[in-house]
Amino acid sequence: MSAHNITTDEQSVPIAIGSETYNEMLQFYYTEASLLDNIRLEEWGQMLAEDLKYGVPIRQTRMVKDTDATVVRSVQHYHDDYRSIMGRILRLSGKSAWAEDPPSRVRRFVSNIQVSKRENSDEFEVVSYLLITRNRFDDDFFDLIPCERHDLVRKTETGLKLAKREVILDQALLGTPNLAIFL
Amino acid sequence: MTKKAQNQLSDGTMISDLIDLETREVQLRTLADREIYDLEQERLFGKTWLLLGHETEIPNAGDFIQRYMGDDSVLVARAKDGEVHVSLNVCPHRGMKITTSESGNTQVHTCIYHGWAFKSDGQFLGSPVADQCMHGKIKSKEELGLTKARVTLYGGLIFATWNIDGPSFEDFLGDAKWYYDMLFCRTDAGLEVAGPPQRFIVRANWKTAGEQSAADGFHTLTLHRWLGEVGNYSKKGEGEGKGSDLTEEMFGAEVSSPHGHALRCIDLSRKIRRLTGKDPSELSVEERLRTLPPPGMTAEMVDQLKNHFSDEQLEVMAWMPPQVGGMFPNIIFAFLYIPQPDGTVVGSLALHTYVPKGPDKLEFTNWILVEKGTPPELKENMIMQTTQLLGTSGMVEQDDSDTWPHMTLSAKGAQGKKLTLKYQAMYETGKPEGWPGPGIVNEGFTKDDTQWHWWLYWHELMTSES
Repeated sequence: MSAHNITTDEQSVPIAIGSETYNEMLQFYYTEASLLDNIRLEEWGQMLAEDLKYGVPIRQTRMVKDTDATVVRSVQHYHDDYRSIMGRILRLSGKSAWAEDPPSRVRRFVSNIQVSKRENSDEFEVVSYLLITRNRFDDDFFDLIPCERHDLVRKTETGLKLAKREVILDQALLGTPNLAIFL
Repeated sequence: MTKKAQNQLSDGTMISDLIDLETREVQLRTLADREIYDLEQERLFGKTWLLLGHETEIPNAGDFIQRYMGDDSVLVARAKDGEVHVSLNVCPHRGMKITTSESGNTQVHTCIYHGWAFKSDGQFLGSPVADQCMHGKIKSKEELGLTKARVTLYGGLIFATWNIDGPSFEDFLGDAKWYYDMLFCRTDAGLEVAGPPQRFIVRANWKTAGEQSAADGFHTLTLHRWLGEVGNYSKKGEGEGKGSDLTEEMFGAEVSSPHGHALRCIDLSRKIRRLTGKDPSELSVEERLRTLPPPGMTAEMVDQLKNHFSDEQLEVMAWMPPQVGGMFPNIIFAFLYIPQPDGTVVGSLALHTYVPKGPDKLEFTNWILVEKGTPPELKENMIMQTTQLLGTSGMVEQDDSDTWPHMTLSAKGAQGKKLTLKYQAMYETGKPEGWPGPGIVNEGFTKDDTQWHWWLYWHELMTSES
């Protein structure tokens, strides 16, 4: 799984499913999905840490022996930081972001959440599955965007903040006309 | 098929009548019609030079990438001697793909079906159980190689064509080469890809994107209005007017080509004035190039330009360099000077192909380029900025990819297909005074001429007999 692994060398301890900390994290992810699905982007922005790194690598179809090469980070689909994500929110909240105006109907199904806590820190490594259904205009089909997210979530005085996200898509040739939505 | 049948669609429409040469109109049905699409595969994608990638994607012997020439998958591979070869990715035995990987490295490409094996240059090596001679004796090994395309490298870009005896790549570019050199052949070390291309599907006919690539400047004002409202062009210099209007950015010179190539050369005066506080006409060519180096280059790298360009080319690069445009049939380039919040400029270099995937689908392939000699920190800034503005999640191009599908849907309507695309905003200017470059050049606010010339070449190829 080295191709998917974005964790550091720091030791981390698994957080038990159903524990108080796990539930707190679950709430964070459900809240996030709800804010994004309902296009409450400025509120979502408040869930982001100011040192955010946000990336969506390219995927490539390769032989099993080259599995590491199936995730490409030299060029990505999203290659963002806090400032650029806030710029995207500003655009989407403006008058002329036609790619999402009228907006897609989007639903984010979050599951398979696994949490571990980095030792001697307030940071949690969180892996989640995400299935996005996206529908536009009169389309009688949905663009499906299944992916696996590798996050770093930080506990702060103002609540949990997303400090890092890497989204591993399940398509090499992406089947949706743009990523004008957040994953 | 009779000669007549080749020149008309099954409903009796002559191919030549799809475009009204007098009124500069193109029938909207061209953006959805299956028959037209199939003819294009033969007459355009089977004939012209097509962009497949950059040689820095396959630096080592044995490296390969899988790409598309029209509907056909091809294997782009570097052989032991360093040569780049392009072969149809179809086993001549039973039609299986030779490689199903997007990229990799191998000296021998072995079909997984029956094991026929080929070299990087497409040559047939043999089939398993050699003593049984399973490829038979009717055809020689030389005849059983992969179908080869003709290849040329230009600025490291890999172009190929099935038109083995057709025009050279240089002839295909024609006068436009004088301008393309300013983009792709600028520095001593040359360009490289930042990585493999982004790839995604847009449910639109490839020509919705193709005709726009032939330098549609006008759409920027409306479709990309956000750039002036809240984007990189919302901050204006002193005395440059107020509001979100991008009109001033649309002035320059546009280069058309009889082969459908197009370049928008946009005036740098405002940017140079902003950076120096001086009238650009008071500055020498070299001073202007050092103040505002070509996108993706540093002031230190400007010295290298003299090794590659004539004084006339340098003058254009310091005055109205090509920044957006296309190469027929399905390529767009963007070599942009993007204003930063602090008043400086960071370059973005991107190249796309719009690969046809049926009459109502295209694959958007986006390469991000950098100069090999650019300092790593600037490269990183450029890659991030380009990703944020262009391609999959690009805040500019996500509006384009949302627009084109509607055009293809419109072209399917019984009434809609009778409408026309109109290219009637015509230049009446000619070259800017003192313009030293060749080609069909017009000055002023962006017009429809370059796109019209794109359609004229489409018309020429689609109605040609051979």
